[in-house]
Formats: sequence, structure tokens, C-alpha cells
Amino acid sequence: MNTLRALALRGNSKLFIQRAYATTKKKISVETDEDLPIFQYPVSKSSDRRVYVWGLAETGALGIHLPRGKRGKKAYKNSFTLAWHPMRSSFAERFDVTQIASGYGFTVAAIKTNEQHKVFGTGINTDSQIGYHSPRIGHPLEILLSPAPIYVPYKSLESKIVGLSAGRAHTVILTDNEGAYTLGNNAYGQCGRKINPNEEYKGSMATHNIKRLGKETITDVCCGQDHTMFITESGKVYACGWGADGQTGLGTYENQGIPAPVKGDITSEKIVKVASTVDCVLALNDKGELFGWGNSEYGQVPMATKQQQVNMSYALVNFTKGLGKIKDIASGGSFCLIVNEHGDAFVWGYGLLGLGPNVQHTAKPTLIPPPLFGRNEFNPECTVEKVSCGVGHLAAITNNGDLYMWGRNRHGCLGLGHSKDQLFPLRVAIGAHVLKAVCSVDHTIALCKPFT
Amino acid sequence: MVNFRNAAAAYKSLNGLICVYKPPCVPIKQVQHTIKTNLCRDLNELPDRPREQRVEIVGATNEPMTVKLVPNYADDPLVCGPRYIHEDIRCSWATHLGLFSSGVLLLGINEGTKLTYLINTSRLTRAYKIQGQFGKATDTYFWNGKTVERAAYGHVTREKIDAVVAHMQAAHQKAMYELSGLHMESQATYEMASEGLIRPANSKLPVIYGIKCVHFESPNFTLEVQAVNEYDKYLWTLVHDLGMQLRTSAHCTGVQCIRQGKFDLDVALLRKHWQLEHIVDNMDRCRRILEEHQNLMKPESARLSM
Repeated sequence: MNTLRALALRGNSKLFIQRAYATTKKKISVETDEDLPIFQYPVSKSSDRRVYVWGLAETGALGIHLPRGKRGKKAYKNSFTLAWHPMRSSFAERFDVTQIASGYGFTVAAIKTNEQHKVFGTGINTDSQIGYHSPRIGHPLEILLSPAPIYVPYKSLESKIVGLSAGRAHTVILTDNEGAYTLGNNAYGQCGRKINPNEEYKGSMATHNIKRLGKETITDVCCGQDHTMFITESGKVYACGWGADGQTGLGTYENQGIPAPVKGDITSEKIVKVASTVDCVLALNDKGELFGWGNSEYGQVPMATKQQQVNMSYALVNFTKGLGKIKDIASGGSFCLIVNEHGDAFVWGYGLLGLGPNVQHTAKPTLIPPPLFGRNEFNPECTVEKVSCGVGHLAAITNNGDLYMWGRNRHGCLGLGHSKDQLFPLRVAIGAHVLKAVCSVDHTIALCKPFT
Repeated sequence: MVNFRNAAAAYKSLNGLICVYKPPCVPIKQVQHTIKTNLCRDLNELPDRPREQRVEIVGATNEPMTVKLVPNYADDPLVCGPRYIHEDIRCSWATHLGLFSSGVLLLGINEGTKLTYLINTSRLTRAYKIQGQFGKATDTYFWNGKTVERAAYGHVTREKIDAVVAHMQAAHQKAMYELSGLHMESQATYEMASEGLIRPANSKLPVIYGIKCVHFESPNFTLEVQAVNEYDKYLWTLVHDLGMQLRTSAHCTGVQCIRQGKFDLDVALLRKHWQLEHIVDNMDRCRRILEEHQNLMKPESARLSM
């Protein structure tokens, strides 16, 4: 370059004005303070959402498979199996995500749109739980590494997705006026249709529409491992799917194909929320009272007799006496977690409950010390608002939008930067106000709202 | 207020901790210097001890000699200088306060220098009021730096500040466990954590225990921060970070320490009261505070002692 310039200068030096000083960093003098332009940073809308994902990435459930960092680092690309810390999902940057759900090794997200593709899925697709995707005809994909749209035959493109839930290998999509659509594995009837023992689920294009249940519209859905629960307008609960542990609550231990109303104490109640991750189910009515059924091997649904499978719903009002009104519920693989109106979290069952290394099992709801969620003399108003459970890990969201997680750290699903189990709640580093956390077996997703 | 009979008695009582209000833009060195100077001045003004006498034996040696006591001029302040000078008074600070910060400053006088060491190692929390302003970022993060950026701040509301500030505080919750030096998987850690806050094991990294916005009038705001191991520059960066998180820019306009442990602004001695009587008085007050709260200086566990 210099030689070129020298040559050029020698030719006709008058044309070129030579610079006599070195080019250094641009300096700002004090006098130009007022001359500086006023920069407007982009500010997000109040409806903007962010999605953070962490845990096992090998299944594609995080929707992130691209190498991070520089292009040359091939080794990193190959070793990207886990996201140790919450990573912001780029999918949520392109679409307005409204609902998220995660099953065993897959994730589904609903977006706000008036087009055909309202729900996207990523991850394991062995049972067509996230739709039929086949780049080559006749060779459907069994794994999706980045989110792909799920084809659902909506009757009207105006319908909105109001609920989303996923189990081990099935997905339920709830629309506002077309009822629920189910897809995926129906070996136990979890899709709410007749069980066909010879059905092939791989590469299946079947979706099933459950328009109404008992002449009422469905308002909420919840998937356990291999069963599904629907809540209708009047607060009735319908269930279908695997019933070997009584998790359908139909009074039998049989599998149920067509959704049927859950029997027992909840028939006369208005249920507002049902929670289930594996095979124990908790339900909450509008008065803040707790009900439960399903697996009770670890005393999750305590009965008078030593019954380990509860096949009908029972009120747990006496069990939760003195805790006040219950605000949120979650049920994990071997434990249950609830929050009361005072913002205290209570846990019972077996496993890493967040009560330190010495407590493996509690039969009664036990308070998780509030200082662990940040309530101390400097911040006395810190309360827990929402809870959720994975199979072996637990999560709680405080009123400040901070996510706390603890429990089994399978494949780094706690997002704490290591794979050691966490024995008491610890805050996960997310730079946004967390609205909802969804825990799966080996990955976790959080739906968040940016601060500004 | 105590009245001293003489300077020696006053000097003997000058052993202990005092709490002064450091004005901004005055370095601690100068505070120490002023206090030493004032103490020396006041001590020298008090009634002096009787001047030493010199024994003089005069007369011829072959006759009976006379013994006389004559004034010893070597002991005269006009000859040897004032009775109390800077070197006679030791003065040390417990925790440093930057040049532009103001507020509560604990100083140890003479034997009290040992107390300041204990206070330093027991890591008392300090509370600050930090004033900041949106719209401008400077290269030093403080108002006297060079402006590097100006940004719009019309979208900032009290609610947004509160949310960001609570989030910044919660981010330190995990740092607290990490810096406590406790083993994360032990029962002792769990018990300690479930009781409340934990003190950091060393003085290396700052830990924030509480932040809240106490005043906001766009573009000015005031934060109240409770922290350990912090320093003035760190608090400035806190304001800068807040600005960045709120999608604007901000700089710090003032830092005031309003509390250290149990010593708050009521105890702190103003500059006009840096005189012997007030200092001795203040020393008594500080001694009483330390006696009431024994664990301030020798904490028995890793729990945070205010």
C-alpha cells in the first residue's frame, strides 16, 4: 500500500493531500459534549417475549445446533452436546412466541400468527409427536435439530393457540374455538382416540381433534408421561391415556382411549389447574384447595391405607391444613411442590427436595426456607409465585421474575454451569423477567419478558 | 462533654474508634491529617504538665555546694516544639472510601487501630446512597469524566428501574454462596443459607446484598445499595450497568455511605466537630455500640452480621 502511494505521489503529488499525522483512536474533546448526537436505543414492546433454553442439546430439543463462536472452531461444533447456561433461542427472536411446552427430548412452541403454521416443534420425533417431516418421500425424520412447523388441519386460520402441552411422546395443542388437537404416540390412548395396537407411529401424519368434552369447550390441557388431562369451562377434568398407576383417575387401572371425566372428590369442584409430569397428578380448585391422584409410591398422594396407586381423585385438604390458600402446584417424578398465598414453597415426596443433603424424604409438606429464594432482611417482600417440576428437578419463579432451580442436574438441565446436583434452590442466570419455566427430563425452557 | 484537667489525661483517653463524616473530594489521607492536626492543636491548648526542672549543683568544688532547681529550657515548648505532634497520634481507617465518595468513615485512633483491623476483617455491610443521572455516559462512569455517549431516556420508568435493580441484586445471590468459601453440598452450607445471608470469605470481590431505587425524578435517580467489599469505582459501574440494562446510558453523580455495620449517619462526626471534645465524646458512643453488638468485630460464623 505504501509503495503504491509512494508511486502515486511521485507521479502527481499535487493531487494527493498527504496526511501528516498518525491515525489513532478518535478522541472526543470536552467541548463537543453538547454536539454529541442523542442515541435512541431500541426499546422492546410490552408484548415481546424471549425464550431461554438449556440442558441436553443432542436431541435437538433446544433448537440450537449451530456452532457458536468463530467459524473456524470445528471442534466446538462437534462437542456441542449441552448448553450449560441458559441460551437465548433465536427462534423466539423471529416469531412472537406465546406458549411453550416440552416433552421428553422435544420442545413445541406456539406463535402469534394468522397463518397455517402456528406451532413449531424441535427435537425427538420418533412417534411423530412434532408432526410429519420428510425431506425425502418415505423417509420421515426421527429427529429435528431446529424448529420446524407442525402441520395441523385447522378449520379456520383465525383460531389462536391457547394451550400447549407435551408428554413422553405426544403433543396436545389447544385452540380457542376448535378444541384440542393431539398428535404423537397413542399406544395407551394418550391422544384421546381409540387404541390401535398395530398402529405405526413413526412417520404418521395423524392428528386427532377433540372438539368438545361433555358439550363444553376445553380451557386447559396437561400432559403427564403417557396420559393427558383436559379442563373444561366449568372446571371439570377429563383424562385419557395410561392408567397403570391410576393416573387417569377414572377408578380403574386400565388404559383409556376416549377422554372420560375423572372420578372422586373433584367431580363437584371447579378445577383451575392440573399438574403432572410423570404419573402423579395434582389439581387445584378455584378456592385454592388441593386434590391428587395417581402414583403415590413416595407418599405424594397420602392415603389412609398403604395404597401406592390412587385411581380416583382425593381431596388433600387435611393434608395441606394450615398452609392457607394454595396458589400454584407442580408434580414431579417422585415429589410435589406447591406455593401458598404467602409466597412460601412447600415440598413433599422423595428425592432431592431442596431441603439439604440430609433430607431425602418428607411425608408432610415441608417449607423450603424462604431465605433460599432471596427473602432476607434487605428484601423482605421476595415471594415465590410459580413453580414447576421436571422428572428430577424443580423450579420456582419469584415475584421479581427470578428463576430458582434445584434437584437432579441431568445433562446440566439446571443451567448452573456444571453437572453437579443442586441440593437447595439456586438462582439461574437469566437476564430477563421469567414468566414461565417448563422442565422436561433433560432440558429446561423459560419464557421471559425483557426488562425494557 | 468532658472537661480535661490536663493534656496528658486527654491523650490517655484517646484510644478507640471514631466515626466521622468524610466530605466528598477530600481524600482519607487529608481527613486523617486534619484530625491529627486538630487533636494536636487541642491537646496543646490544654493545661500543660509542669515543666521539667533541671538540678543544678553550683559552687566551688572545695566548698559546700548548693543544689538548685532551675527551669529546664530543653523542656520548654519554645525550644523543643509543641508537646503533641502528628507522630504521637496513630490513625487508621477501617475500610477505604474513595476520593469522591462521602459519608460514614470509621477511623481508629492510637490503640483503636487494632479495632479497625478487626472491623475490616469482619466485613461489615455498608449502605450507600448512589445518585445517578440518565442520558449521558462518561469514560470514568462518574460525572467528572469525559462524555462518550448521550442517549434518550424518555422510556425509563420507576417500574423498569425496580425490575432491573431487583434482578441485579438477585444475580449476587449466587455470588454470595460462591464467595463464602463454603462447600455447596454440605449440610452446614444448607443450614447457613436457609438462615439468611452469608459473608464473603475474602475481601477480593464485591457482593451486593440489596439494591433498591429510593428516588426517581427523570433523569435523576437515587439507589440504595447494601454491599460488602465494594469500592467507589465498582458502585459507579453499577450505575453504568443499570443504564445499559435500561437501554439508555447513565453516569454516577454522587456516592454517599450512609451506614457501616451499626454505625450510621447519626453517629458520624461532621467536619466542624473534628475537635478533641467531640472526638472523645464520639469515641465513647462508638465504644458503646461495639459493646452492644459484640459480634460486629469477632463474628463466630460465616453469617452476615449487619
